[in-house]
Amino acid sequence: MSSNRSRRGGGQGKGGGRRFENNRIYAYPLPLIIPTPEERPSSLYKALGIFKGLTAEVLNPHCEGTFDVATRSIWVINSRDIQILWRRGFFGKGDLSRSEPSWHARQMNIRKLAGKRMTSEEIREKRRQERKQFKLDRAKALADAAAEADAAFREGREAALPAIPSGATWKPQPSIPDAIPETLPLDEAEDQDASVLEDVEPLEDVEHLQLTIQEAFFLSWGLDCLTILEPSTNEPMSLQSIWSSFQQVHYTIPPDPTHGARFDNPFLVHYVAYHYFRSLGWVVKGGIKFCVDYLLYKRGPVFHHAEFAVVVLPVYEDPADQQSSPFSLSGATPFSWSWLSTINRVNSQVQKTLVLAYVTIPARSRVSTDLLSSPACLAHYSVREVVLRRFVPARMRD
Amino acid sequence: MESHPSYKALEPLLKTYPHAAGALFQTYNDLSLAQQWNDLEVMDVPECSRGAFRGRRPKTDDLLYVIPCSLSESLSMSWFHQAFERLGKPPHIYLAINTEDSSIVYYKLSPGIVKPPV
Repeated sequence: MSSNRSRRGGGQGKGGGRRFENNRIYAYPLPLIIPTPEERPSSLYKALGIFKGLTAEVLNPHCEGTFDVATRSIWVINSRDIQILWRRGFFGKGDLSRSEPSWHARQMNIRKLAGKRMTSEEIREKRRQERKQFKLDRAKALADAAAEADAAFREGREAALPAIPSGATWKPQPSIPDAIPETLPLDEAEDQDASVLEDVEPLEDVEHLQLTIQEAFFLSWGLDCLTILEPSTNEPMSLQSIWSSFQQVHYTIPPDPTHGARFDNPFLVHYVAYHYFRSLGWVVKGGIKFCVDYLLYKRGPVFHHAEFAVVVLPVYEDPADQQSSPFSLSGATPFSWSWLSTINRVNSQVQKTLVLAYVTIPARSRVSTDLLSSPACLAHYSVREVVLRRFVPARMRD
Repeated sequence: MESHPSYKALEPLLKTYPHAAGALFQTYNDLSLAQQWNDLEVMDVPECSRGAFRGRRPKTDDLLYVIPCSLSESLSMSWFHQAFERLGKPPHIYLAINTEDSSIVYYKLSPGIVKPPV
């Protein structure tokens, strides 16, 4: 503990201070807050076995978002709602950032050239520059070693080989401190600094928090804390219209009303998996960076890297439904061993466990498609998980 | 989307190719606002039924080409071939794969084998 405490100050210090801050900011796992009872239950309540908490009112933040058909997402523009949805459950992603909307902060950093508090994108950029430098140093060392070995062989003597830097021990050379800016050179900027801040207009924040239709449906139907607005009229959409619009989104743009509702609609299949993992307490985020559908975080991306990578594999109860399907559901056709091996390798490399989530799609012959008019049909889907780990017999004894 | 500042620049292509509208819009915003590309131009690639972009990364002079697509699409070799032809046979083009949560993953495509730089 003492080694953690010795690091002080703002910025990106790891250790006790940062963790405490994160525990405070990201204290609530969901946008809804159930307040703990102030006083202990009286003996009467205890005797009756009633918890006072049940009578307490749930605090609902009532967030708002607008449906965008082209991007198949819901946009949240209000900064209070963005903060609530991100901090209580890590819902959504800033459309110009890698996680939390930070575009405006990054632009202001570039303008003020202060760069004292780095956003995660800036840390990532710094890390990439260091890795690039490491690769150049290593390539140069390898080239030097080859040249030296060559010269030594020709001269008939022992080669004095230079050390090849390894990723574990290489340290970045201290360079001239170069705070973020790529536009203005430092000395010019200092003179202009004061005038720049006065002359330039305030920057409009054009970023929004983007929720996938699965996240938005979970928030509006599951938790009832999100109102979704129709894009053209700005009127709140009813649950019925949300339910049918989200299914229509996967057909064609503009949506074709002649198709009947189907159980293998990609929105439904993915929603089943999303709802399943969310209701078990996992924070579910998109997994495209690791060639999977979803990443599962125990508490959230700010705490620890995702432990599990989930691929959603739809299974048709009735194969005839698959033949008549207007969608091409990814993962529905049998996969090859090379595909599976590739994804497993990619994820093992980043210390994630691959989970195959099989979602069973009910047969139209057994379950009436009338049920598709409401979320009650979700009860007919089932999810089974298979965890994949590579087994190496030679190394994995005991 | 209509009230977003980027809409005007993309309006004709958004209307001509509605199925690629989401990917075009997201990629344009990423390149112009987040990546801060310079001299960004929008091009039309009718063979692939979508628009594409040409511009420069900050602090570099090379003209780079980006063609957007969405994760749910299925692309073929002839699609890539036509994209290369239409964009004037550049040494490489970037494929911007867009997702519904607004993540974009860029892949660099070259017409042939390329040795890694380092």
